[in-house]
Amino acid sequence: MAADGDSADARGGVSVTLRFEDGAERRIVVAPGQFVLDAALAQGVPLIHQCRSGNCSTCVATLIEGESATAPGRPVALLASEAAAGRRLLCVSYAHAPSVIREHYPATPIDAAAAPRRFSATLGALARPNPKVAIFTLAVADETFAFASGQYVRIRIPHTDEWRSYSMASAAHELPAMTFIVKLIAGGAMSEYLLRAARPGDRLEIEGPRGAFVLRRSRGQHVFVAGGTGLAPILSMLDAIRRRPGMRPPMLPSFGCSRDAEFFARDEIELRRWWMPELRAILSAGRSDGADDGLRRGNPVDALDAARSTRPAPPPICAARPR
Amino acid sequence: MNSGDRTAGGGAPRGSIAPSRQYQPYLEAAWGFKNAWYPALFGAELSKNVVAGVTIAGHEIALRLVKGRVHAIRDRCAHRGVRMSLRPRCFADDTITCWYHGFTYGLDDGVLKTIVASPEDPLIGKVRIRTYPVEERAGIVFVFVGDEEYAPAPPLAADLPIRIADDANPVAHLLDENVHVRGVHRRVESNWRLGVENGFDPGHLLIHWDNQIVAATDRRMGLGALPISEDAIKIIDEPNGPKGMMNMYNLRAYKFYMENAVIGMKARGKKPYYARTSVFLPGLLLVEHWPIPGWAQYEWYAPIDDRRHEYWEVLVGRAANDAERREAEYLYETFFEPLALKDFNDNDVFAREAMRDFYESRGGWDAETLCAFDEATIVWRKVAARFNRGIQEPSARRAERPRASRWRRTATARTRAAA
Repeated sequence: MAADGDSADARGGVSVTLRFEDGAERRIVVAPGQFVLDAALAQGVPLIHQCRSGNCSTCVATLIEGESATAPGRPVALLASEAAAGRRLLCVSYAHAPSVIREHYPATPIDAAAAPRRFSATLGALARPNPKVAIFTLAVADETFAFASGQYVRIRIPHTDEWRSYSMASAAHELPAMTFIVKLIAGGAMSEYLLRAARPGDRLEIEGPRGAFVLRRSRGQHVFVAGGTGLAPILSMLDAIRRRPGMRPPMLPSFGCSRDAEFFARDEIELRRWWMPELRAILSAGRSDGADDGLRRGNPVDALDAARSTRPAPPPICAARPR
Repeated sequence: MNSGDRTAGGGAPRGSIAPSRQYQPYLEAAWGFKNAWYPALFGAELSKNVVAGVTIAGHEIALRLVKGRVHAIRDRCAHRGVRMSLRPRCFADDTITCWYHGFTYGLDDGVLKTIVASPEDPLIGKVRIRTYPVEERAGIVFVFVGDEEYAPAPPLAADLPIRIADDANPVAHLLDENVHVRGVHRRVESNWRLGVENGFDPGHLLIHWDNQIVAATDRRMGLGALPISEDAIKIIDEPNGPKGMMNMYNLRAYKFYMENAVIGMKARGKKPYYARTSVFLPGLLLVEHWPIPGWAQYEWYAPIDDRRHEYWEVLVGRAANDAERREAEYLYETFFEPLALKDFNDNDVFAREAMRDFYESRGGWDAETLCAFDEATIVWRKVAARFNRGIQEPSARRAERPRASRWRRTATARTRAAA
């Protein structure tokens, strides 16, 4: 696509088309006095760059059409012959006219989040904390697989073309292992596989990661509300907070199940309470089956409101038995 | 995530499926706990205008003393990544200059102030290397090692032992007035956790059974101590203060074994002495009334990387005037350092280095067989798992010093070829 002059914005900026090696194009507007790289970054096009001062040449690109020049008086790490051939260091280059600039790399890596990949994974352990819930682990051999807590993958049920989506219940620092929590449904494809066919060592295909429900950084109290197997992304986020840099914020997860007989993951939550003094947990069940289980009554949102005024004692250290 | 992360802890895939150990985060902390104060050097080791490089929990740090104040800054030039401490170069009181091309950074903010070879360079003012909070107390330079965004750093006292209150003659605290502080530090070839766990281990007295200090003082030292009541191990959780645990040897909470009838072995010595051990985050030991009553021994096991730690052995005693200081110095030189810090503690260093292979290469954290007195070790691991301020991420590589010269090797190779 050729550069056109009609997209100059109200501030008098010019339109610049960035053409990537794989044919992808991104259109940005570069204001007078603004460097092309700065404009691209500001407009959500994450070009590869480093020094931002014309020294390192990481951001070198080629001017195909239009007019783009280096800021006057700025010595840059380009030979005169390279400049004559259209090379520009975008971190110190203006755009004086609508232009087309070719990048020497594909857009794919910078769009990776939008383009999930497929990986092979191996089934590890499989457990059923109660008749309605299964927990299993997968190991991904590929070291390039990464994800953010809160994201999910699609998993192909072996020997079928059926795919199901599950959030990771573990955090990225546990890779290559990932944990999943699945609600078992009679006749469900994944449920049937897990209950009848699954064996440790099975190969499964996964696709991802996907999803934009991820943690945002803030210092205020983090409140999480989860019901049933919806606990998975919350556990992952709590583990990510434990291992991320800086001070941990106060955390208040409220987790409930519809009946107390179906309550699960109590040990997992207790462990995280032990590991993070900043974490309070509210556990609830909608209906009681009669046992004195220490769970609050109601759904996790109601339990959250009721619990906010109380402050529980820290968990016991359980020193008597090793491990 | 790098590969070091993927293998941290080792063993089977974790996650919520197999019940994690309560001290799982401790197993993840091969490179140490971050966001904590660690000793870096004795103040006396930093003479004026000399830059010293240290590595703590994988953080490479350059220290420089200027006008009585120590500065700590990342010991890697942003330009070509060399350690600036390899050839200290300082031209002004408020900067440090890399010896290679002269990148010159402000000591207070780490900002690139100039480049000797390129004074008009556009990088100037834009590039920055990080700095570290640093405090010199009682002759020891402490650095707050961890995330730069973990600010403000908690007070140093939060990462030191508690002040002893339950003792008729409490030992001095490092931060007290009128204390005499002397000690040594040395590199030990084992993970830092093996250092900590050796320090307060109630069952390891066999390695000290025939030590010089025990014989010379006729000290009645048991063969081992077993916690026998609920209050044997006290959890220390001071609000905004030290976290750790104490072996309450002052209570009737431990059973002391003075002989083992099966092999006919008896404890040596006749004179009873009282001492007590406690351990604190991020990994330091206090021994009260050791080597003699009234003195305290502090030990830090500052991680260098995941395989080595800097072992700090520091004695703290009271000395209010010159005469007492001379006496303390005499005791230190003629008694404490040779008998306690060297002979006695050499046995602990031997034990830690002997454990290294098992814990590093043979799955020791899963394969160990802990016994009754190891309850103290388990409680420490759980306390550490709860109260640490973060797990240090592994560095890409362990720090290595460059070879000064290869000429000798080349000459040797030629000689061999000629022969």
